[in-house]
Amino acid sequence: MVMACRVINKRRHVGLQQLSSFSGTGRTLLGPVKSSKFIIDEESHESMLISSIVRLLESLDLTSAVGQLLNEAVQTQNSTYKTGTSTLLLLVGAWSSAAEECLHLGVPISLIVSIMSEGLNSCIEEVVSLQVPIHNVFDHVDNTKTFSGLDTCSVNLCPFLQIPSDTGLLKEHDLKDVASPSLTIYNLSGIPVGSPKLFRPQAEVEANKNILQNPQILKKSLLADNHCRKSILIHSRHFNRPDSNQWINKPEGFLEQRGAATPHTYRCNDLVELEMGLSHGDHNSMKLVDEAVRLQYQNSSMQQGNCSVPFMFDISRIFTCCLPGVAETFSCVCPGYITVVSISNTTLIKELQNQPIRIILIEGDLTENYRHLGFNKAANINTLLESVKFQPDSSEERWTNNVLQVLIKFDVNLVLVQGNVSEYLIEKCIQSKRLVIGSVNNSVMQAFAEASGAVQVTYITQVNENCVGSGVCVNFWRSIPSDVIDRINIMTIMIKTEGINLVTVVLTSPLPAQMQAKEDRFWTCAYRLYYALKEQKVFLGGGAIEFLCLSHLQILAEQSLSKRNHVCSGWLHNTSSWLASSLTLYRSTVLKCLANGWHKYLSTLMYNTANYSSELGASTVIQQHLQNATDSGSPSSYILNEYSKLNSGIFNSGTSNKLEQIPSVYDNVTPKIEAWRRALDLVLLVLQTDSEIITGLGHTQINSQETEGFLFL
Amino acid sequence: MSRLEAKKPSLCKSEPLTNERVRATLCVLKGILTSSYGPSGRLKQLHNGLGGCVCTTSQSSALLSNLSVTHPILKILTTSVQNHVSCLSDCGLFTAILCCNLIENIQRIGLKPTTVIKLNKQLLSLCTSYLQSEFCGCRIRVDFSSTQTLLCLVRSIVASKPACMLTRQEIDHISALILRAFLLTIPENTKDRLILGESIIVPLKGQRVTDSTVLPGILVEMSEVQLMKILPIKKTDAFKVALFCASLSGDFPDTGEGTIVVNSGVSLENAVLDQLLNLGRQLVSDHVDLVICQKVVHPSLKQFLSTHHMIAIDRVGAALMEALSKVTATICSLLLCNRNDTAWDELKLTCQTALHVLQLTIKEPSVLLGGGCTETHLAAYIRHKTCNESESILKDDGCTQTELILLTDAFCSALESVAGSLEHDGGEILTDMKYGHFWTAQPESPSVVNWPDLLSRCGCGLYTSQEELRWSFLKSTHHSFAPQTCLPHEAVGSANNLTLDCFTAKLSGLQVAVDTANLILDLSYIIEDKN
Repeated sequence: MVMACRVINKRRHVGLQQLSSFSGTGRTLLGPVKSSKFIIDEESHESMLISSIVRLLESLDLTSAVGQLLNEAVQTQNSTYKTGTSTLLLLVGAWSSAAEECLHLGVPISLIVSIMSEGLNSCIEEVVSLQVPIHNVFDHVDNTKTFSGLDTCSVNLCPFLQIPSDTGLLKEHDLKDVASPSLTIYNLSGIPVGSPKLFRPQAEVEANKNILQNPQILKKSLLADNHCRKSILIHSRHFNRPDSNQWINKPEGFLEQRGAATPHTYRCNDLVELEMGLSHGDHNSMKLVDEAVRLQYQNSSMQQGNCSVPFMFDISRIFTCCLPGVAETFSCVCPGYITVVSISNTTLIKELQNQPIRIILIEGDLTENYRHLGFNKAANINTLLESVKFQPDSSEERWTNNVLQVLIKFDVNLVLVQGNVSEYLIEKCIQSKRLVIGSVNNSVMQAFAEASGAVQVTYITQVNENCVGSGVCVNFWRSIPSDVIDRINIMTIMIKTEGINLVTVVLTSPLPAQMQAKEDRFWTCAYRLYYALKEQKVFLGGGAIEFLCLSHLQILAEQSLSKRNHVCSGWLHNTSSWLASSLTLYRSTVLKCLANGWHKYLSTLMYNTANYSSELGASTVIQQHLQNATDSGSPSSYILNEYSKLNSGIFNSGTSNKLEQIPSVYDNVTPKIEAWRRALDLVLLVLQTDSEIITGLGHTQINSQETEGFLFL
Repeated sequence: MSRLEAKKPSLCKSEPLTNERVRATLCVLKGILTSSYGPSGRLKQLHNGLGGCVCTTSQSSALLSNLSVTHPILKILTTSVQNHVSCLSDCGLFTAILCCNLIENIQRIGLKPTTVIKLNKQLLSLCTSYLQSEFCGCRIRVDFSSTQTLLCLVRSIVASKPACMLTRQEIDHISALILRAFLLTIPENTKDRLILGESIIVPLKGQRVTDSTVLPGILVEMSEVQLMKILPIKKTDAFKVALFCASLSGDFPDTGEGTIVVNSGVSLENAVLDQLLNLGRQLVSDHVDLVICQKVVHPSLKQFLSTHHMIAIDRVGAALMEALSKVTATICSLLLCNRNDTAWDELKLTCQTALHVLQLTIKEPSVLLGGGCTETHLAAYIRHKTCNESESILKDDGCTQTELILLTDAFCSALESVAGSLEHDGGEILTDMKYGHFWTAQPESPSVVNWPDLLSRCGCGLYTSQEELRWSFLKSTHHSFAPQTCLPHEAVGSANNLTLDCFTAKLSGLQVAVDTANLILDLSYIIEDKN
């Protein structure tokens, strides 16, 4: 065993460069308008369509140490929050370049680490001023207004950083109807509830020609908008004051206006507005989330009556059923459990439907040889046959008969199994008019356990009267026309029971390659809403917080230039080192580099939203805003001001032709901030690493051309 | 027919240390260790190059356990450092670097090994008796009436591990938690002997560091479904608990080489399950409330227990079982969060070290000044001592004064270089001529300069540059001075942000380093069995 050791940052920091290049691969996946990628496997010639960072990293070769750390960071962010991974990846790239820049300028590594880390801390404290509290969004949820009703609203995806001219605004108008073919959505009772063509293609910068040409429609649409957003951000002229001190941070960090008779607090108390803001352009997915939440809300108010604990969105009770090969428009949301079963069950379902049946739930597999986790089968046991004449049934047959006897004894017609089910058993059960479904999701099992009174067991022998649930209904699920569903040769059924807390979201996609992406997008939206409701607060989105960080850091950098002697040695752990006293020397440089990282991030975001022909163009606009923000004296007031200008529908002279009303865009709070911190942590971890130690390798295992730079012990 | 093969002759190498390759590898090892030392130490990525998990660390225990060294000399070194770390947790890098420095410096002066060993032992005993003496100028007695010293000690340990990726506030938070966890392990009523409890570190990966917390008692994980079933707990008096470390999963014992033959129709599984259910009935009649099993409980037994209103928790693992078996002692759970796996692993190791150091400090209530100050102060003391009292040191050793001067210089520069290894960004290293403390200044500082303006505080943070002090570069030739001994109590009391080191671990590290260096320097032959 020989150990090799390689110095990785002699002249240029290899680790940081690797991070930058990995990050570059995900550049187009940032923001609401994502360009999907085809990943092609050269060996198997299989290709895959991906539109999320997690799927991208799954397909990349990340066996290098830095690649693995990056993958680990993205996976942790994804498993904890399900959102923020593209922010994470892009910031990793932006900040590793920033750290490298600092190295070139000769800043000691420890100082880069301290200043960047404290700089980001300061940003995180600063953006608290852009938090919007969420209040009682479920109070008015029974109103007729739903997400689907928000027809005329369109979202500018970077509402804050507007394109100052109107040239590009009309270009996509004609694409609209092509992108959304006419189709119908059914609600539960089968009545069409809305025309989905109104959910416009993502990223459409909306300025409707018809509206422009027809004042009557215009008036109607404005009215509709006012109705939609009656509760949207309140602003006042006081925002315009460059002096920001009439805004104070309340203890919980929310902005409030001081001095006014009744203080206006920024708040969001409308579910649709919140969802619209969090959809980031993906209206199709968010519409499904909206319906799912409403169903869950209705269910919970029915269960609890009027007295009650406040409703909590329980994301674990949302289940997705994917039907590839079915047109997009058939995606919908239903209470209960919808699943695909084999066509061979048709007769059985016909017999079982329209009557309450009894159910048991099996965790693990339902096969003869399955044993619970932790059970070790003994190897050396021989069974002695007593008589040669006696020919018993095969053991599988005996076992199957035992299972059937139990089912008959307890009059069970439905078995949900978490794991696999023996094919032979399924067949036998069909004959005896019993339905067995395998690979059932854990939260589905849990929902049925609660609603039907069944208790999950591991073995069929454990079943007793107390384990059996009752009152379950099985029906064909025929919301998709039979000609469509027959074509793909599957059968969908719905299993329900009174009061079950389970909502199935049926996701369809004509292209099987897009199915995964569609499911991912749905969950992204669902988790965004989940965290917003859980935290009871969101950020003003669309680049607002990032822009505030950028301008805040620029101001900090300027300040540290002017106040050279300003002591900020508290920023360093080790206050006695010379580094503490040289901190002021490098502070401004490092903060500027960190700010450049934000700048790069924002211009990528804006470039991706397709308003700009180049990142440079986007960068110029950011620069203009930055100047304005700095001149105003308080960047956060400037941002709030810009935001409210857009929201109040005042026709800004610079954007005079823009008639659309722009609802707010929101971002999650903790997932976002954790993504920032995680990104910087990774960059600083790699920055501080000076060697890579490869253990357990012989000389021979490292390619001869690579041995240069390796030292062996 | 057996074949006899002639044995290969053993390989014998003389004077192993003079070998160029040995020197080179020692140099690489020293490079890895010194570059990792201290709060601004550089990190190392350890991985197997084949896609295994990546460990980013700067701690000796993680580094040394992953380095696979082949040469016997390096093995002696790494083994003795690892041994030190496994006993005392802290000061591993200090020990290893000091040992490397001693070998390097002493080799250069070319004295006879016997002389070297004799004198090294003399100097070591001078060091240890000074550090343990009442007039020692770099040791602080711990005042248990306040948490200040202990908190500084913990914070110094946490801050010296950059791979934990903590911000300043997070360092404060974690340090306070560690101290609180430690205090929870001290029993309230002790008779004559103090038996410390245990802190169990519970991982909560992916969360924010500031979400970490300490809870008294043991935290046992159970499924939400099971939890909903038993809540709310109505029982008011103490729970009766049955604890099983054997598996209750119903599998058969390993038959080894033999085979069991059973008649058809006999089900061994059912026979075992019947036994388990008998056990269940016994538990019912004994009125047990809670059954905890280290391994797996058979689902049917679980079902049986739950129908009799017993809570069964299985798969709790060996570590928790040990704590559970002494649940009457003081035990607490430290829920530790960090953003990514590699930083979490490093943080866990750091917490374990800090908790161990606190235990050592209870036994020996002293701490040493950290940040390099103890090393430079001790070196100044030894230089002064050998210069002025050479006769008493050389009494009946048969060594000459020149030999003593040469070795003292090698020994003291080895100590000073350890302190110097704290600096990784090319800063200048200085020492003051009054206390002998460690100071750093920015690189390429002009030689004529107003030092008080350029310097801020000494390494441990006890003194500021505004005192009337004189400084000299640590590398330049030394004229000996007597560093001020007897740390004034007031000076220590007022400083609330000191960098401190564990007394026991550092003292032992010093001894291990000198002993190991002596052993390596004494090697004349390496005999390798080639068979």
